[in-house]
Amino acid sequence: MIEILKLQKVYSQSFALTIENLKINKGELIGLVGNNGAGKTTLLSLILDLIKATDGHVKSKDLQVDKTDDWKNYTGSYLNERFLIPYLTPLEFFEFVGNLYGKNKSDISIFMKENEDFFSIEDKDLYIRELSAGNKNKVGILATMISNPEIIILDEPFANLDPSSQLWLKSKLKDLNAKGTTIIISSHDLMHVTEICSRILILENGKIVNDSKTHSNSLQELESYFKLN
Amino acid sequence: MYQLLIHFWKEKLRSPFWQKSIFINILLGFIGIYLALNILMLGFFADKIVAELFPNQDVLAAFNRLLFYYFGFDIVIRFFLQQLPVMSIQPYLALPVKKSTLLHFPLVRSVFNFLNLFALLLILPFFFKVVLSTQTPLYSVSWIVSVISFIAFNNFLNFTAKKYFVKKPLLVILWIVALSIFIYLDIAKIISVSSLYSNALGLLSQTALFALLPVVLAIASYFFAYELLRRNAYIEGVEKQNNAKSTSFQFLSNYGLIGTLIGSELKLIFRNKRPKSVFYLSIFFLLYGFIFYNDQYLNSPYMLTFVGIFLTSNLAMFFYQYAFSWESSFYDMFLVHRISTFNFVLAKYYLFAIMCVASYLVTLPYAFIDSKIALINTAIVLYNVGITSILVFFSGTFSSSSIDLGRSQFMNYQGTGAHHFLMMIPLFGIPMIIYLIFSLIGMEEFGFFGVGLIGAIAILLHRQLVGFISNRLVKRKYIMSSGFRK
Repeated sequence: MIEILKLQKVYSQSFALTIENLKINKGELIGLVGNNGAGKTTLLSLILDLIKATDGHVKSKDLQVDKTDDWKNYTGSYLNERFLIPYLTPLEFFEFVGNLYGKNKSDISIFMKENEDFFSIEDKDLYIRELSAGNKNKVGILATMISNPEIIILDEPFANLDPSSQLWLKSKLKDLNAKGTTIIISSHDLMHVTEICSRILILENGKIVNDSKTHSNSLQELESYFKLN
Repeated sequence: MYQLLIHFWKEKLRSPFWQKSIFINILLGFIGIYLALNILMLGFFADKIVAELFPNQDVLAAFNRLLFYYFGFDIVIRFFLQQLPVMSIQPYLALPVKKSTLLHFPLVRSVFNFLNLFALLLILPFFFKVVLSTQTPLYSVSWIVSVISFIAFNNFLNFTAKKYFVKKPLLVILWIVALSIFIYLDIAKIISVSSLYSNALGLLSQTALFALLPVVLAIASYFFAYELLRRNAYIEGVEKQNNAKSTSFQFLSNYGLIGTLIGSELKLIFRNKRPKSVFYLSIFFLLYGFIFYNDQYLNSPYMLTFVGIFLTSNLAMFFYQYAFSWESSFYDMFLVHRISTFNFVLAKYYLFAIMCVASYLVTLPYAFIDSKIALINTAIVLYNVGITSILVFFSGTFSSSSIDLGRSQFMNYQGTGAHHFLMMIPLFGIPMIIYLIFSLIGMEEFGFFGVGLIGAIAILLHRQLVGFISNRLVKRKYIMSSGFRK
């Protein structure tokens, strides 16, 4: 589904993201872990062609992401607030995004109904910029699902979410994954990652230092890896 | 207090205000010095001007009367222009800093405001030139003390006034109307309120103690403002209400993707402070015709063209000079969704055209001044829709600095770059060349026809031109988006 070859992003002499070869197969649920500054967001931004790679490229379904826009048709993503239009109400934003993928208003209201446990609009007139961090996060995450994408990319989706929402999101992601959606998430929560992901990548100083399928001892392994000595 | 002062300087020095090209900073610096010199000259020759305006009157008394209106309008001007220097105190609320220090700080800081500087530049020359030389030292001192107290009074009153004026904008209008009535009564010599004020200042010559009254007022306004800040110094006090319903532009979503994009653009204008103030400001500029449509310009078809370009495009140009920067805080959203850059630009192009036609229709009544205005402006609106739009968007593709939608437009040069000034060269250069050609063949009168024709051709080619802009956006995607993220 996604193939990364000899990808390099150099920011300064002190930091560079370098990935020799990484293949993400259809139907995988990838968890990306690593301390701050390891390059998680940089990697996700490169996959979404938000920043220019210094060298190498990312292929989505055999097409280079910086050469074509086709991947946008089947990729839903939410990295941060910059993916939200601050002066729209959540409903207006969902309708706007839906419109981009040919969904009409009734499609959106059905979609909202389906996911009302996760996010329901109590105060209809509130703009996105007035929402709390957690609610903004929810709006962004839900917006990635409107178009029934084949790939979903989320940067720290569990951050700022309340416990019920975290549980809901975990089962939702597992659910979508079971239906064949390829999902890439980054997270600081090792429990969440080991619980739902099928494959875990550890990033450190811009390099993938560990790439393994999740197994029963994954959590202990990750914990011992990240333990400070 | 000392630490706060250091933080304040850091906030200023590190603000994005300075992080633009040196060219702009130097230009702004020169404009600032020029303005300051102008005001200083005005203050220096104030006695001559007053003597000219009010012959047969005591210069000081007349100046005092003018001061009365100056202070009256100062309150309104401050309401619109003076930004309250409320340093974000949230980070400090939880730290062991005395709350009173936090509250006194913005108040003290507000004294260093350009409007206060303006007033001093105006009044001090007059004080030294006239008051000090003609009056007793005691009177001079009490005069300047009372006048400066009134400046301070207005300065601190603005904290309170802003709160009430924002809640009830009608009060501002009432205030202006009241002042206008005073001026009318004054001119019509029915009742002169300003003379009362002038006489009151005159009393100072007898009892210098009267100067204490304005001082007391100033101190009172300070504590009033302090009290207001104290009551609002809680995080929950910053909540704002909005009017999502009145600005939803539902009907536009019936026109497909382009309609939705135009709707989102209109929401951007009406739901964000800075674009909204740009929009209202440009409506105000539609009145410029009353200044420019005079005999001098009406006889020059060439000048009429310039005025026409300005009048029928300013609504669109003021807003779209920041095209693509307005979206800076969510530009990434456009990059990851299925939205073609072509349609993204096309929607803007359509709205640009709508704005031009709207300002054309609104300014059409200027034709009552001279009928040829209608003819010329009709040609020019074609030029604006065809050429100006593309030039403005082209200039927009050079921007790579972000804009904060929530800040006020006034004295805000965030997002302004050299490209804004360079754009003017072709914008006015093209009609100039056309007029040159027409005057060479002895038909200068009909130059506007050529201007309209080239606009019409550009409109016919608009898909190609919009395509050219969208290609540039694609090419500059990484540069612009990484600039916007800063």
